[in-house]
Amino acid sequence: MQTKTLFSSLLTVVFLAGFTGCKPSTDSSDTPGAARYTIGMSQCNLGEPWRVQMNADVKAAADQHPELKVIFKDAQNDTLKQRAHVEEFVSAKVDLILISPKEAAPLTEPVAKAMAAGIPVIVLDRALLGDQFTCFIGADNVKIGRAAGEWIRQTLGGKGKVVELKGLMTSVPGQDRHQGFRQGIAGSQIEIIFEADMKWLEPEARKEMESALARFDQIDLVYAHNDPGAHGAYLAAQATAREKQMKFVGIDALPHEGVAYVKKGILDATFQYPTGGAEAVATALKILRGESVPKKIVLGSRVFDKANVEQGGRELP
Amino acid sequence: MNPSEKAASSHPVIRTLTSPAGRALLALLLVLLVGLIFNADGAFFRPGTHRDALRQASVYGILACGLTLVIITAGIDLAVGSVLALVAVCGAKMAIHWHWPAVVVVVASLLVGAACGGTCGFVAARLRVQPFIATLAMMVFARGLAKYASGGMKVSRSFGGEFVDLPPLFAFIDKRILGDNVSMVSVIFLGCVVLAWLALDRHRWGRQLYAIGGNEDAARLSGVPVVAAKAAAYVASGVFAAIAGLCQAAQEQQGDPETGGGYELIAIAMVVIGGTSLMGGRGGMGLTLLGVLTIGYLEKILSINAVPEAGRLMLTGLIIVVAVLTQRRRPA
Repeated sequence: MQTKTLFSSLLTVVFLAGFTGCKPSTDSSDTPGAARYTIGMSQCNLGEPWRVQMNADVKAAADQHPELKVIFKDAQNDTLKQRAHVEEFVSAKVDLILISPKEAAPLTEPVAKAMAAGIPVIVLDRALLGDQFTCFIGADNVKIGRAAGEWIRQTLGGKGKVVELKGLMTSVPGQDRHQGFRQGIAGSQIEIIFEADMKWLEPEARKEMESALARFDQIDLVYAHNDPGAHGAYLAAQATAREKQMKFVGIDALPHEGVAYVKKGILDATFQYPTGGAEAVATALKILRGESVPKKIVLGSRVFDKANVEQGGRELP
Repeated sequence: MNPSEKAASSHPVIRTLTSPAGRALLALLLVLLVGLIFNADGAFFRPGTHRDALRQASVYGILACGLTLVIITAGIDLAVGSVLALVAVCGAKMAIHWHWPAVVVVVASLLVGAACGGTCGFVAARLRVQPFIATLAMMVFARGLAKYASGGMKVSRSFGGEFVDLPPLFAFIDKRILGDNVSMVSVIFLGCVVLAWLALDRHRWGRQLYAIGGNEDAARLSGVPVVAAKAAAYVASGVFAAIAGLCQAAQEQQGDPETGGGYELIAIAMVVIGGTSLMGGRGGMGLTLLGVLTIGYLEKILSINAVPEAGRLMLTGLIIVVAVLTQRRRPA
């Protein structure tokens, strides 16, 4: 199925490239004339709500500063298109580049060239190879997965039957959220009775959960690598009237998704995977003013559960 | 089925087994046999497993109904997955955000699907652009329109700081009937199968579609309104995609502009595995129903056994090839 999606998206890309000439959608903060600094922002794919949220966070933070103007470009999940973004920003002589890269290796060289041209680069969420960038801002999926594991261990009292619905296991976030979770429950009597790859997709998660429900009469908790996955699992359990027999835990905690589900009592907990949009703009301002910034900023995460969701969650240590 | 057509010497059982329907049935039985052997600690024997297998095949199956009509004319419709997403977004907006009455939502959604299909039909049949290209263009366009209409975000129940109640239409589509044993979407799917079967098998329009798929020039010379009949097949495919879109939105309780990616290829595979020829002129709805069940059950069996993703993809690929090979007509 994945190959089929790949095939169709390949066709889409070929088609789009042929007919629209890779024209980026540009959008700038509305501060005509007043802007002193232009920032180019290249987002790898606006098909994911989390990345839409990242752009929204960058825009909201930049709107606070009339001296900033941000140009947004969407690479539509195409590495070469994103490479072109960087080159376009360099020839347009922007003052700073924000990039959330699709993948490390092919974008390392173009970013190094931008640095050589004297343009500072902030890398968001996914890292590049080497050290030819100004600052990396990202969250730690292993840490978040571990926090989820520890929360689950505590909530279940150290034992229970758990279903793990994994994100795409060929992707690093999926691997990290899996690995961290296993570290978090290590040594307890928690048993993973069913695990399946739901490829981050809600319909897939619902399908896999139906299979888990068909096989096992007792399930204590479902841990999904993202909130749509946990929601899909909830709907599957609800359809067999078993949703009250188990808990549901997700990751990402977008305001309109995971956090809303916790408020509604659908999920028992969700762990925030922060976008870093606000931190990126703050760091950009420091760089533009000539202040020094750390090479790497690891974002903190928050847990939202029934006890704290109305207070805006609790910061994780 | 026609005794004069086949050699009278062959045994009736052999004749049934080597007919297209017999072979499609054989493929389904083989998959079910795999389920009997790898029954995941008895999970395969629970009625719920079969209800869920049918439920998850239903959205693909509804798309396959429309695709059967188009493929019989030797055409193809790649747009169905995107049209599904567009209707899911529009349907969710109308039902969840605007609280429109169910009837209005359904009618408006079907019109959106018909408009997409109609555009494909006009470009493919009237302007004579290859169906692959015409519907590829619609596949890209409708996906873009879905993203535009939704503002790039999922149209969900979490809206304006509130958590909106599930609209009655969505609750109805996602409910179960007959003592919890049948999903409503499966009933909708079977309704679509019957509709498409009536159109293909019992209506003049269906005969025209077979004639066009068999030999378009001959059909035109014998007075078949080729352009209108062909365009109507794409309209029907768009309408079926709209029905699938509403089912998808109801089951996800939201309109996700990214949903349905790659569904067109699964639905095409279901039609082809059933035995309907991509060259046009041969096939039917009964065969498509068998194809839908074959792939649907295969997915379910792999899922209850928690087969890792890599193995699932390889097995699915292998089984598609084997099933299509058994479908091939042997030389007389």
